[in-house]
Amino acid sequence: MLRRSVMRSLLVAAALAASFAVWASPPSMIKIGTLYAGSGKFSQASTRQYDGLKYWAKEINAKGGVYVKAFDKKIPVKLVAYNDQSSTTLAASLYNRLITQDRVNLLVADYGSVLTSVAIPLARVHKVLLFDETGTSGKFFEPKDKNRYIVLTGLPTSSEWPKVLADFMQHVGIKKVAILYASNDWSGSQADTLNSTLKSLGVEVTFYESVPDSTSSYSTILRRIAATNPEAVAEFGYSTNDIAFLQNYASSGLHFKMMFVPNPALHFDVVRNAVGDAAIKNVYSYVAPPLIRYNKQVNFGPTLDRFEAAYTKAGGKNIDLSTVAGYNTGLIMGKALAEAPKFTQESLRDSIDTFSGKIFTLDGLFKVNAEGAQIGESLPVGQVLPTKKGLALLPVFPLKNAAAKYVYPQPANP
Amino acid sequence: MSLLVYALLAGLFYGLYFALVGIGLNLIFGVMRIINLAHGAFLMLGAYGAFYLYTLLGWNPLWAVPIELVVFFLLALPIYYLLVPRLQRSDDPEMLSFILFFGLSQVIEALAVFAFGNDQHSIPDAVFGTRPLHLLGQVFPLSWVVSAGIGLAGIVAIYLYLYRSRIGRATRAIMTDRDEAVVTGISVNRVSVLAFGVGIASAALAGIFSPFMLGAIEPSMGLHITVMAFVIIVIGSLGNPLGTVLGGLIFGEALMLMQTFLTSWAQLFPYVLLIAILLVKPSGLLGRKVRSA
Repeated sequence: MLRRSVMRSLLVAAALAASFAVWASPPSMIKIGTLYAGSGKFSQASTRQYDGLKYWAKEINAKGGVYVKAFDKKIPVKLVAYNDQSSTTLAASLYNRLITQDRVNLLVADYGSVLTSVAIPLARVHKVLLFDETGTSGKFFEPKDKNRYIVLTGLPTSSEWPKVLADFMQHVGIKKVAILYASNDWSGSQADTLNSTLKSLGVEVTFYESVPDSTSSYSTILRRIAATNPEAVAEFGYSTNDIAFLQNYASSGLHFKMMFVPNPALHFDVVRNAVGDAAIKNVYSYVAPPLIRYNKQVNFGPTLDRFEAAYTKAGGKNIDLSTVAGYNTGLIMGKALAEAPKFTQESLRDSIDTFSGKIFTLDGLFKVNAEGAQIGESLPVGQVLPTKKGLALLPVFPLKNAAAKYVYPQPANP
Repeated sequence: MSLLVYALLAGLFYGLYFALVGIGLNLIFGVMRIINLAHGAFLMLGAYGAFYLYTLLGWNPLWAVPIELVVFFLLALPIYYLLVPRLQRSDDPEMLSFILFFGLSQVIEALAVFAFGNDQHSIPDAVFGTRPLHLLGQVFPLSWVVSAGIGLAGIVAIYLYLYRSRIGRATRAIMTDRDEAVVTGISVNRVSVLAFGVGIASAALAGIFSPFMLGAIEPSMGLHITVMAFVIIVIGSLGNPLGTVLGGLIFGEALMLMQTFLTSWAQLFPYVLLIAILLVKPSGLLGRKVRSA
């Protein structure tokens, strides 16, 4: 009985794999399946990312569709999207639905590592290439897994993010650092990399602890950190964590020479509006598009300036990193379809290797390794500094990318 | 030692605020035997009310206090008449209310996403001034003191309502034995609608100060807060509003002490405490008192 059901499952999987394998005649449309979080803790970033992807689909359809090399013609694209409400359980069943019932031609993951994680095994078992927009967990790209069915289109893996930050801390002569992180994979992998990199550089890590994701009060923790006398404090968490952390720090009466949080890089306006200018001024963060603009280097797709102008003219909100990531995924999918000689998942994946490292989009250099991890982009260190237009997160390190001189030590809050 | 003093005082501030978070939920349960799982959703709406009064009109959140108390009390009346009498006529109002108010919370959250969007918001702490409070050699944000002070004022107001007013006596009579209260001529419906209004208004009041105590506000924050409020009132005693004060203080102190000395386990301890109290004293710490009141 068990043997029969196993055989049946294998046959179903094989049939589905075959259905994704080869299309003899051109489809009337390219179905792109994706999920978005209409509510819940990932909704803010997810809906913006989805908006970016929708805008790409609208733009490409206005030009007659996406060029598919395998059929030497343009074919309209159709987005098939479901709301997973930030739930991994719901997301798993919806990804499965996209693959097995909707039979989408291309599969795009929802925002972030948590909602991407459940898509990876499904995509792999059904041999469908997963376009991973912002799921940056290093665990998705382990060489031992030999998974060819995933490509991270945007940001580098999260374990790569703090390497420039560690270099900056060494550059300004910091000797003692406290690291606090929320207990999720994204935050933990950044904290882990910073911890090990700093130690290898001879910097003492005076405090290294995690807090639950739901932590909304940091005042007592800040006291504990202060008791270890660090010069710099790096807090890794989601934007809700950063907002509470910065608010508590601003009103704590404490002062550290350097304060780093990651989310101003991802949602600068959201964090700034939530905590106020006084609490975010001089704080350090990463810098990612659209806060850094590679207009001169872009050789594929529009520059960020042109995209922003067109997007907002079409009625979109102000762009942020999620919007750029969604749109950039569309560009990469379009390029893969335009380069793949066959309309198969494997051919699409192979075609990505052919243009990896050669195209520079509004999001930066697109370069993936054999595991599909993004290695072309790096995240400079930025600082929230006053400009003529008010506070802005400006790149300050590496010095060759700097748009402003860093302020170190950070002045104390007024 | 300094860290311990800080944690204890921070726990006191948080405890008073947490008591305010839970007291409305417990009042509604005590009077109507209804589990209002939309409690956190009303708190979320109260938070957005303060946020928009601040960002659009530049009003200090303290101005939101009288406005929201009135608005949310009035908002509660049609909700009460639409839902509660029907629930009370059912065979199992407690269980049915559990499902119905969960549905209501989801509706409120969905409408909030449409109305406010998904972005996280907050109100800067500096709105109450940039000078912190110095107490026993420790420094605390003024926003904590204000939030705890409002929490204390809310608790005192509900105490006066319950123990120093005629309608409060009627309310306690219903909480003790609903059928006997009906027999003695107490208008259960009138008392219940008042308690429902006070409960919802107190949730909104706690919401006004949530940006300072609970971090960023967003439409999906309600369910987590409802669970937290539920833990607080169960620790104190389900059905005894003043037990909520004890529950809030224990929750606040436990959270702050854990954050200080066992950071990674901070969110776990209050729930372990809940399980322990349910095993040792299922009626809550003040459970006996409520029945002999």
